[in-house]
Amino acid sequence: MSSSDGHAHSSRHPHLAEHFETIQQQDYAARLGMWLFLGTEVLLFAGLFLGYTVYRHFYHATWHACSQALNVWMGMGNTLVLISSSLTVALALWAVRVGKKNLAIGMLVFTIICAIGFLCIKYLEYKHKFELGELPGKWFRAEELMQYPAANMYFTIYFLTTGLHAFHVIVAMSVLIWVMKGIIKGRYTPDYFVPVELGALYWHLVDLVWIFLFPLLYLI
Amino acid sequence: MAEATTTDSAHANDAHQHSTKSYFVVWIILLACTVLTVLTGRTDLSHLFPSANIVLALTIAVIKASLVVWYFMHMREAAGTNRIVFVTSFVFLLVMIFGVFGDLWTRSPMTLPYHTPTTEGPEIMVPEGGHHAPAHHE
Repeated sequence: MSSSDGHAHSSRHPHLAEHFETIQQQDYAARLGMWLFLGTEVLLFAGLFLGYTVYRHFYHATWHACSQALNVWMGMGNTLVLISSSLTVALALWAVRVGKKNLAIGMLVFTIICAIGFLCIKYLEYKHKFELGELPGKWFRAEELMQYPAANMYFTIYFLTTGLHAFHVIVAMSVLIWVMKGIIKGRYTPDYFVPVELGALYWHLVDLVWIFLFPLLYLI
Repeated sequence: MAEATTTDSAHANDAHQHSTKSYFVVWIILLACTVLTVLTGRTDLSHLFPSANIVLALTIAVIKASLVVWYFMHMREAAGTNRIVFVTSFVFLLVMIFGVFGDLWTRSPMTLPYHTPTTEGPEIMVPEGGHHAPAHHE
């Protein structure tokens, strides 16, 4: 649609929805909505962190022994993968804002590869846990941890938190693929990049949750 | 109008030109923090003070999270309302965690699930041979 017809709406932004006065107002509403959503996401994980805290307090020795049973190198590898992909998604947003389309696509491709890499490492970890029987509830059958009371509860919380997080990785990855399609089609430009920004914010949230999950589950 | 748009985006570009450097600096700090937390995480630091390990690990995690929120998530250029929203959710997170801690720290030992009355608590009363009053068997 051309915007050069010289009428009152000539300056109307092509991506501006009818119910907003200006593009600034629309961007402001979109960002506020996203931060509200991120706030609810923080509180969603907060419930699980709280469960972790309570059981850790009740079964301190169990928690210590079970966290030592996790593979710290895989956890560390996943932390490095997520931190680096957080950098590249931030660079992708910057590239869109300065109009470097190809750089933006390249950065998003790298981010998506990191997301897949994260899920592959997680898969290997889960597979190992299944082999050892370090599983939640009645499926728990790991001989060397049997002596610790409520060791199965540790793995309930481990699978709940990392599983919900992995689900977020998959959703965020899908959002980034969708955003990348928009960049390839030329929909997002230095004049209109808010969807890219919100997708990047969601990816950063995934990183943020992992920053807390990693030390709590693997280290202490 | 077209002119104004160009200046606006040029302005935004300027503001963003120098921030890629800060992204890389933040990334290096985040990597360093990760290595530091792994190195200290599985070393026993309890000779410093009882919960030194968890305090250090959470401090590093909070520093990392703040860097991600402030630089990568652009909180430093975000509107005031967005800051309030995010900070409020963290405040409620703390209220929730410390509210529960208030309960945990002030509990009577008998209400804790790991509590075994035979080793720490008052003596357990075992009924013997159908007697319902087990005290004084000697």
